[in-house]
Order: sequence, then C-alpha cells, then structure tokens
Amino acid sequence: MTQPKRLSQEEERSLVRRLKARDERALSQLYDLLAPWVLGLACRILQDEDEAEEVVGDVFAQVWRRVDQHDALRGPLVPWILSIARNRALDLLRRRRRWWRKADRWEHAHAAEARDPEPAAAPHEAAVPGWPLHRQVHAALAALPAEQRQLVLLAYFEGLTHSEIARRTGQPLGTVKTRLRLAHQKLTEALRHLKDWLE
Amino acid sequence: MTDWLGMAADPRAPPPELKARVLARALAGPRRRWWLAAAAVLVLAVGGAYWSYRTVTTLRAERDRLAGVVASLRDSLALVNSASAKVVWIPVTTGGRVGGVTIFADSLRHRWLVRCDGLTRNAPDQAYQIWFVTEEGMKSAALMAMDHERPMVMALDMPPNGGKVMGAAMTIEPRAGSTEPHGPFVFHRSL
Repeated sequence: MTQPKRLSQEEERSLVRRLKARDERALSQLYDLLAPWVLGLACRILQDEDEAEEVVGDVFAQVWRRVDQHDALRGPLVPWILSIARNRALDLLRRRRRWWRKADRWEHAHAAEARDPEPAAAPHEAAVPGWPLHRQVHAALAALPAEQRQLVLLAYFEGLTHSEIARRTGQPLGTVKTRLRLAHQKLTEALRHLKDWLE
Repeated sequence: MTDWLGMAADPRAPPPELKARVLARALAGPRRRWWLAAAAVLVLAVGGAYWSYRTVTTLRAERDRLAGVVASLRDSLALVNSASAKVVWIPVTTGGRVGGVTIFADSLRHRWLVRCDGLTRNAPDQAYQIWFVTEEGMKSAALMAMDHERPMVMALDMPPNGGKVMGAAMTIEPRAGSTEPHGPFVFHRSL
C-alpha cells in the first residue's frame, strides 16, 4: 500500500524557492500534493465537479503567478493556497446564487448537508498526501459543540456573513457572533501545533 | 487557524487529464499576459509619442501665430502713439451705408496705419484698392477684398520713391487689382 506523502518544513521552503525561481517541475509537484485537497474543498463548496475543476485551474494559475507574494513568515503555503481556493469557489458560488434559475438545483444538492456529492470519487487515504492533517482538522471540528460547528461550516464553506447566518438559522445576531468567536478560539487552540506541512 | 479549515473537506481524486490542462493554463497565462502587457506598453508609447508630437506642433503653431499678432499690435500701437503721426478720419459711403476710414500717417517712419469701418462687402469680382496720392501720380498701397462686413486694420509702408505723398484715395477695382485707378472713387483726400 502506498504511504501518504509527507513534506517537512525544509522541503516546503525548497518547494517555494523553486516555485519562485519559475521551476515548472515544482508546480507539477505542488499539483500532485495539493490538487486533491483543492478539488475537494471546491467540490464541498460548489457541489459541482465541473466548476470545482475550473477552480483548480484558477488556483494553480494564481499560485504560479503570485507565488512571490507568499510570505512564509505570515503562514505556511498550504493555508495560503486553500484560502485562494476558498475565495475563488465562494466567488463562483455567489455568482451562481445570483443566477436564480440555478438556485433551486443548488438548494436541492445542498440539502444533503455535509455529505459529499459523490462519495465514490474520494481517493483512498493512503494515496493522498496530507491525510493526517485532514483527520486533525476534522477532529477539531468534531470537538466543537454542534451549534458552533454548524455556524463555522456555514461561514467557511458557504461564505455567509454573520447576518446571513443569523437569518438562515433563526438565531439572534449576537448569539451567532458569540458562538463563532468561541468556535474560533477553540479551533485556534486545537490547530495551533499545525506548523509543518502535511505532517 | 481557520485557514486550515479547508483541509476539513474530503479530498477528491482529480481526473487524470486535469493536471495537463491546469499546468498548461498556469504556465501559459503569464506569458500571454506578458505579451499583452508588452503590446499595451508599445501602443501606449507610440500613441503617447504621436500625441506629444501633435500637441507640440499645435502649440508651436499657436505660439508663432500669437507672436505674430503681438508683433502686429505692437507695431500698430507704436504707430498710433508716435509723436510724428497725423490722424485723419475720412467719412465714406458705400452701397448707401455710412462708414469711415481712419489713417494714422507717420511721416517720420514712412508708415501708415489704416483702419476701415462700415464698408459694405465687395461684389465677388471686386475689391477695394487704397492709393497713395504722390507728386508723380497714384501709387497702389493695398488691395483689400471685403467679403465680410467687419473693421479692417492694415499697416502700409509708404513708397520709397515716387515723390512726396500728398494724400490718399480708395477705389473699387477688379478683384485682382489695378495698376492705376479705374473704378469709382470711395474717397480722395489730401493729407
């Protein structure tokens, strides 16, 4: 069985250096390591395979173009790339929401809530780098009280504002803010040790 | 730390053909943009240079025109203010309309400044012609075709030879002018 690929901080720094030096093989390596996660995140947000693949293309094009803007002192490479993927996917999601003819289809697809659109397409964990980190983030989320976890998922994966979350859940705005603040504190504490990439 | 939340989504195996598509797009993008940027810079540079050339040329022409106007006005002002200038106003009637011709005659500088007001416009084949009346006869001073009814000012150099200038006259002549007066006199006046 294939072992999950792992990358130390030194290897990550080397990869970033090569990307900044316009080494095309480094981009290929980065794709191999991160494409499953970028595609998974985009699929989770968009519930649409074609649009998610479009996001993957946007993300790697943007990373290649703007890797010089990545500041290692302000954070590791993976969260930076994931934030690009999330922002791009949410842009598409908001554009789609404005397209009323697709709204119903999206609502129907999203009714399945946390369930992935096509579970059969998920790769085996051993073949995907970063699986341990996935587990840890999942565990941190699972450790949150259900009412906090629900708000975090709405904010992160649907890009809703506090007011929109309050309307969607029928909770007072102050309660939403308080629960999100508490959730953020707990997640920060639980994920504080995540400094190495994919370790 | 919420930046790590993206890892909460389950990974998905990308279709095998996606990698080539994604890498080709990422690697081609900046080059295309580089060429686009270079083309845009070139267009801007050429456009800017042409615009600058046009602007400088226009401004130079305008500067030269204004310099000419200023020189003409200075000349006229010097003539008007000259202590040796003699001013003569001659009432004229053209086409039933009353107007006037003012002559600033500077005998020291041998120059005249002539201003015509209220002259009717000429027929298409005619023009007003001004004459110096000298001891040796009539010498053409200026030909002015009046196609618009508005004041006209001109500076004239008195003839270097031909005797003393004793007066002025204006006739209506063919548009190309005459060597001696043939047409009807608008005025004839000794100074």
